Amino acid sequence: MIGLGSGTAALLLLLGGLVALDGTSTGQFMISRPLIAASLAGWIVGAPMQGAWIGLLLEALHLSVLPVGAARYPEAGPAAVAAGAVYASGPPAPSVLLTVVLFALGWEWVSGYSVRLLRNVNGRFLAVAESVTELEPARLVRLHLAGIVLDFTRGLLLVGAGIGIAALAVGIALDFWTAGERIPQLLIAGALVTALAGASGLFGGRRRRALFVLGVAAGLALGGLA
Amino acid sequence: MSDLPRSLRRRLLLRSFLIQGSWNYRTLIGTGFAFVVIPALRHVYGNDEVELRRAVARHAELFNSHPYLATVAAGAVAKLESDGTAPELVGRFKTALRGSLGTVGDRLVWLSWRPAVAMLAIAVLLAGAPWWAGVCTFLIVYNGLHLWLRDWGVRTGLAAGLNVARAVRDMPLQQWGERARDAGALLAGVAVALAVLRPGLPLPGTLSLVGAAAVGIVLGHRIRAVVWAVLFAGWLAGFLLASATGTHS
Repeated sequence: MIGLGSGTAALLLLLGGLVALDGTSTGQFMISRPLIAASLAGWIVGAPMQGAWIGLLLEALHLSVLPVGAARYPEAGPAAVAAGAVYASGPPAPSVLLTVVLFALGWEWVSGYSVRLLRNVNGRFLAVAESVTELEPARLVRLHLAGIVLDFTRGLLLVGAGIGIAALAVGIALDFWTAGERIPQLLIAGALVTALAGASGLFGGRRRRALFVLGVAAGLALGGLA
Repeated sequence: MSDLPRSLRRRLLLRSFLIQGSWNYRTLIGTGFAFVVIPALRHVYGNDEVELRRAVARHAELFNSHPYLATVAAGAVAKLESDGTAPELVGRFKTALRGSLGTVGDRLVWLSWRPAVAMLAIAVLLAGAPWWAGVCTFLIVYNGLHLWLRDWGVRTGLAAGLNVARAVRDMPLQQWGERARDAGALLAGVAVALAVLRPGLPLPGTLSLVGAAAVGIVLGHRIRAVVWAVLFAGWLAGFLLASATGTHS
C-alpha cells in the first residue's frame, strides 16, 4: 500500500482542484490533460517519470475524446492526478501500471458524471438570473465565482477518493498478481500503440495517411538511431 | 457615448480566463459572458444603476462560444454598448455570432491544434526526452496559440464591432487548422513507430505491436472501449490464474 505524507497529500489535493478548474471553469491552459496532470502528480510524489509514463498512456487514450458543444464525455484530469500519484508511489511494475490504468479509465467516467452534476447545480443557482430584467453586477459575480469554488472542491474530492481507491486496487494487485510481468508489459505496450494509431484518424484525409506513413518512417529512423 | 479606456482590453482579457466558471445547461456560458463584460458595462452606464443592472441581466442570457474566441464577442459587445447600439440589435448580433465562434474554435483548437501538440509531446517523450521536456513542450507550444487567440479576439472585437464576423473570416484560422492536422498526422506516425520500437521486444512481440497498430488504425475513435475491454480481460485473467493455482504473494 502507498504511504503519502500530509504535505504531499495536501499538494496532490491542491493539484486536483486546480486540474478540475483547468478542465473547464478557468484558464484551460491544459494542465488538466492526462500527460501533464499525471506528470505533475508523479513529480509531487517524487517519481515524475513514472507519472509521465502513465500520463502518456492515458493521454493517448484520451485524444479521441472531444469536448464539443454540450456533449457528455469522461473527464481525465482528476483521474490522471490520482493515477499518477498512486503509480509513482509504488514499484514501477507493469502489473501495477495495468491496474492503475484500468482504475483511471473508470474514474474518468465518475469524474465526467460529477461535471454534469455540477453543471446542473450551476443551472439551479443561476435560474434567478434568467427570471429577472435587472441584475446587480456584484450578485452575478458572486454566483459566477460560486461555480468556480464548487468546481475546485469537486476536483479535490475526486482526487482524494481516487487515490484511496487506486491505492486499494494496487494493494490487492501486489498481493494477488502471480501471472508475471510479461503479459501486462505486452498489454500496456499494445494499448499505447493501438491508442496512438487510432488517434491518427483524428487528423483525417487521404493526404494525411501519406503523412502518417512518412511519420512512421521518420520514427523508425529515429528509433533506430537511438 | 465615451470611448473605451485602454485598460478595458486588459480587464476583458483577464476575465475571459474565467468565462466558463459557471457553465450550466440553461445559459451555457451566458453568465460567464456577462461576468467578462461587466467592466465595459460599468464604464458605459457609469452611475445609472438601473441601466447597468438591465445590461447585466441582458448579457447573462443564453450564449455559447469556444472559450478562446469568446473574447471576440466580448470586445465587440463592449464596442457596441459604448456606441449606444440598441439592446435588441446587440442581442441579435450575439445570437448570430455564437454559432460561428463555436464552430471555428472547436475545429481549430479541439480538433486540430490540441491533438497535434499532444502528439508532439508524446513523440518527444517516446524519443527518450526527460519528463519535463514533454510537459514543457506541450504547455509552451499549445499556449502560444491559446494566448494569442484570446488577445487577438479582444483586440479585434473592440476594433471591429458589428463587422467582427468579416474580421474572423479574413483570418486564416481554417488554414492554420489544416496545417496543424498535417503536422498531427506526421507526428502520429512518428509516435506509433517509437511506441512499437521502445519496449525493445523480441521480433514476435514487436510484430504483435505492429498488429496492434493496424487494429488501432481500423478502429479509429472506437479504440477506447476496445482497449479497456482487452486490458480488463487481461487483468481479470491474471487474477483468475492466481485463484486457479491457489497462489498469491
